[in-house]
Amino acid sequence: MTPTLQHAMKPELTVEEAARGRFVSGIRSLILNDLAADMRAGYEKRAAPAFRREHGRTPETSREAHLALRGDPAFNIYSAMRVQAQKMVWASVADIVERDLDRMEAEAAKVADAPGSLTLDPSLDVPRNVDAIDVHLMPGSYTRGADTLEAGAVYDQGLAVFSMGLMGANLDDIGLSMARYVQGKYPDFKPRDILDTGCTIGHNTLPWKQAYPDARVEAIDAAPGGLRYASARAKMQGQEVHFRQMSADALDYPDESFDLVWSSMFLHELSKKTRAKAFAEAYRVLRPGGLMLHMELPPNDQMDAFDGFYLDWDSYYNSEPFYKGYRDESPPELCARAGFAEDDYIQFVVPSIGIYGEQAVADTIAAEEGEAVGQETTGRLAEGVMWFGFGAWKS
Amino acid sequence: MSGDDKTEGPPIKPEDAPDSIYGPDGQPRFFTEPGMDRFVAVVMNLAQEIWVQEERLMALEGEDTDPETRDAKLKAFIDRVFQPIREPDA
Repeated sequence: MTPTLQHAMKPELTVEEAARGRFVSGIRSLILNDLAADMRAGYEKRAAPAFRREHGRTPETSREAHLALRGDPAFNIYSAMRVQAQKMVWASVADIVERDLDRMEAEAAKVADAPGSLTLDPSLDVPRNVDAIDVHLMPGSYTRGADTLEAGAVYDQGLAVFSMGLMGANLDDIGLSMARYVQGKYPDFKPRDILDTGCTIGHNTLPWKQAYPDARVEAIDAAPGGLRYASARAKMQGQEVHFRQMSADALDYPDESFDLVWSSMFLHELSKKTRAKAFAEAYRVLRPGGLMLHMELPPNDQMDAFDGFYLDWDSYYNSEPFYKGYRDESPPELCARAGFAEDDYIQFVVPSIGIYGEQAVADTIAAEEGEAVGQETTGRLAEGVMWFGFGAWKS
Repeated sequence: MSGDDKTEGPPIKPEDAPDSIYGPDGQPRFFTEPGMDRFVAVVMNLAQEIWVQEERLMALEGEDTDPETRDAKLKAFIDRVFQPIREPDA
């Protein structure tokens, strides 16, 4: 249920610590599967009919579904429990990381000379969306512990508890599923230079190096601690990646220097303005024939009111203030505004390779018609999750 | 850095969030009686402590439980404890 980390920085857990983390994964599973179904039932039985009586129609937007649900007992229970479970995720790993920091540093030192690199930029003003809020209720956010390994370790260990096994043993299911899809769907595409923007601990960077071993892979993030951890983690897993502290909206790379610009679960943590700049920068650094690809939550305009709100919940209650603003934007328009031609837009839904298996991904690649956004499965971390990808080719 | 992401400024909240969804402390508020939001957290913490003791007991008694059996036991425990908050006829 809670995966064990696959590298030398993984902690030795006491019986109590392991049990604490397992409980949090277990209670999250109850909330995200069973209580989520209860909330939908409450919506259909009570909230939507009450809204209809007042307005003469059913809720049409995520916002209306939210307002309709406020005060509903199933919404209250789901929400209060999800907030507490999120706090428990980080609480369950905090003491472990603190007592283990020196050992992790020693492990990181052992692989210091392995292929790969880390370049920090102390002059970079870490943006407010990265350190002025406790992003997804993570105390201290991405800059906890400054440039020690603390922030990365909390994120890695926390994500293992948070993901309930749905992001794979190495927390790389998103990257693995997407890289496999791209390889299968575009066999002639052979990127020589790959850039991951907003990579955090590089967990979804590594699958690209595995898919294209001859490529030079660069990965950037604005937070230094996570990058130090990412670099050690990649080296421990024998993957050569070059990590640099940099902001995605001001890339320190020449024009036309990459064939693939990738991000995962990143765009929703940016303000609208920063996001637009990040898209423009991605366009600038791509070579003609290159691909910009983002794994993200599906947008509201491809979802109905309840399921749209189900994802937007995090914006209001999980300290993800830009999440709904992002989901209200149109992915094709985001790409077009950055300079990509309309016809060069792509989007797809790929089954989680860890849950559905390689054959399911192969079937998706072979299918003439792409899979539409599944209202209850796409982007929703629960049983049967599928991942949403979109982007554009630069002509 | 971009102009809207400076390290000083007001708390960041979603732009369309109604004030009424947060309490005076800025924390999300769900139940009419705000104490209930905290009480839910207490119940979850307590259940976690009981599960920790359960696993300690298993270890002390030398019970060599395989991961699948242990996870099934955890799921049964959580389902049993939280059964009363489930939606009737969902």
